[in-house]
Amino acid sequence: MAAPMELSCWGGGWGLPSVHPESLTVMAYAKFSGAPLTVNTINNSWRARKGDVPVLISEDIVISQPAKILNFLRKQKYNADYELSAKQGADTLAYIALLEEKLLPSLLHTFWVDAENYCSVTKPWFASSITFPLSLYLPGKMSREALNRILLTRGGPPLYTLTEVEAQIYRDAKECLNLLSKRLGTSQFFFGDTPTTLDAFVFGFLAPIYKVCFPRVHLQEHLKQLPNLCRFCDDILTCYFRLTASDGRQPS
Amino acid sequence: MSLVAEAFVTQLAAAEPWPENAALYQQLKEEQILLSDNASSLAVQAFLQMCNLPVRVVCRANAEYMSPSGKVPFIHVGNQVVSELGPIVQFVKAKGHSLSDGLDEVQKAEMKAYMELVNNMLLTAELYLQWCDDVTVEEITHPRYGSPYPWPLNRILSYQKQWEVRRKMKAIGWAGKTLQQVLEDVDQCCQALSQRLGTQPYFFNKQPTELDALVFGHLFTILTTQLTTDELSEKVKHYSNLTAFCRRIEQQYFEGNDKESSSTAAARSAKKSLLR
Repeated sequence: MAAPMELSCWGGGWGLPSVHPESLTVMAYAKFSGAPLTVNTINNSWRARKGDVPVLISEDIVISQPAKILNFLRKQKYNADYELSAKQGADTLAYIALLEEKLLPSLLHTFWVDAENYCSVTKPWFASSITFPLSLYLPGKMSREALNRILLTRGGPPLYTLTEVEAQIYRDAKECLNLLSKRLGTSQFFFGDTPTTLDAFVFGFLAPIYKVCFPRVHLQEHLKQLPNLCRFCDDILTCYFRLTASDGRQPS
Repeated sequence: MSLVAEAFVTQLAAAEPWPENAALYQQLKEEQILLSDNASSLAVQAFLQMCNLPVRVVCRANAEYMSPSGKVPFIHVGNQVVSELGPIVQFVKAKGHSLSDGLDEVQKAEMKAYMELVNNMLLTAELYLQWCDDVTVEEITHPRYGSPYPWPLNRILSYQKQWEVRRKMKAIGWAGKTLQQVLEDVDQCCQALSQRLGTQPYFFNKQPTELDALVFGHLFTILTTQLTTDELSEKVKHYSNLTAFCRRIEQQYFEGNDKESSSTAAARSAKKSLLR
């Protein structure tokens, strides 16, 4: 019998089990693979200070970063990719790279850099999820890190101003959503009828875009024009998290 | 570039045919160019060869500063200067040459995903190795990167670049990785490419695409570049279909080419180590 496993992650809202993409990815994978995780919403965790959330704790083993946590779960025989061929395993890696390169910058921007979204939604939400005095410090730090990452990876000549960089990352993100929509087609999940690692990652990235109500919603508008991706998110929320349109936020 | 400007450039590009005197710029081959830049340059050369578009390779010590995006390679075609593989593929497409037109929508998505895999893992690993591994930095990167400049400018520019790359690594969470972890990532990426390629001649069977050019540029450069250790090239050599793939593209597009372009010379001088 495996040791009990505990996952610390950001809590939920807007009908999502977590509003944080990485947390959501791990939670979805655990559901898909049947791994019995006890999910703890972080509130006073100094762990969050370093930004390594979600984190999995199993006895004396502590693992952060979604890819590493998923690897650990696979080693514990909770494998959602059991039936994939070698080529499908390779495809999984490639599409995850596509998500990180093309979709992640715009997701970070929507949450953490866009001033209107950050001030009216992201900052109040994250600040209320953690206790004082972290609540004063952490949202600002996460925002600075997001901006820094966007500028360092996407900025530079010939894109000199933030507006130009923004235009480029949203264009990339919309192209990425279109590619995912075409790849998914009419099938239920990316590799047929059962969800796998790739579905967990896509869900983790898409569901916050789809569900969180921001004042500025360029990506959400685009996503809502791709009905198969919306259906994909809704299906996972209802079948695996038993959440419908109602607010699934846990009491903290 | 704004959408309007982009549309304008596209129209301009479409109006003119590919000229005879098109040139591709990169750093000096023998004493200056680094692994990652060489890989990117070779990828573009392979792509243009696959499109059957002639290009003259010009080596300049200040190529990095001549490029509009600060990155090599860039091509000078007619009145236009375009840098890096992605924009060059778009530019060439506007002139009516495309390698991926025959693919269906799902295949196009797959091709783009694998190209991001190469950029996300192989290119980042090359940058990590040449700017974050202390032995490589001391023995190879600083001497080569600073080679065109006198002291103390050579040191200043090298450290400036190193600082820039390390900041980027930190932002994407690679700064905390060890060399072994990076090599494992390279191995994982090569395994994925090898499994995707299987026994086909190219990634999408009979016809090469820009993905083939990109993979060739990186793998061939890794296989044929002498570094402080062989660990990186060993990772690639482990996959025989990938080495065969590199050899096949080299023979098809860089040999038997009557024109004495420097790219064929590069391929020839490098061949020894590949065929070893």
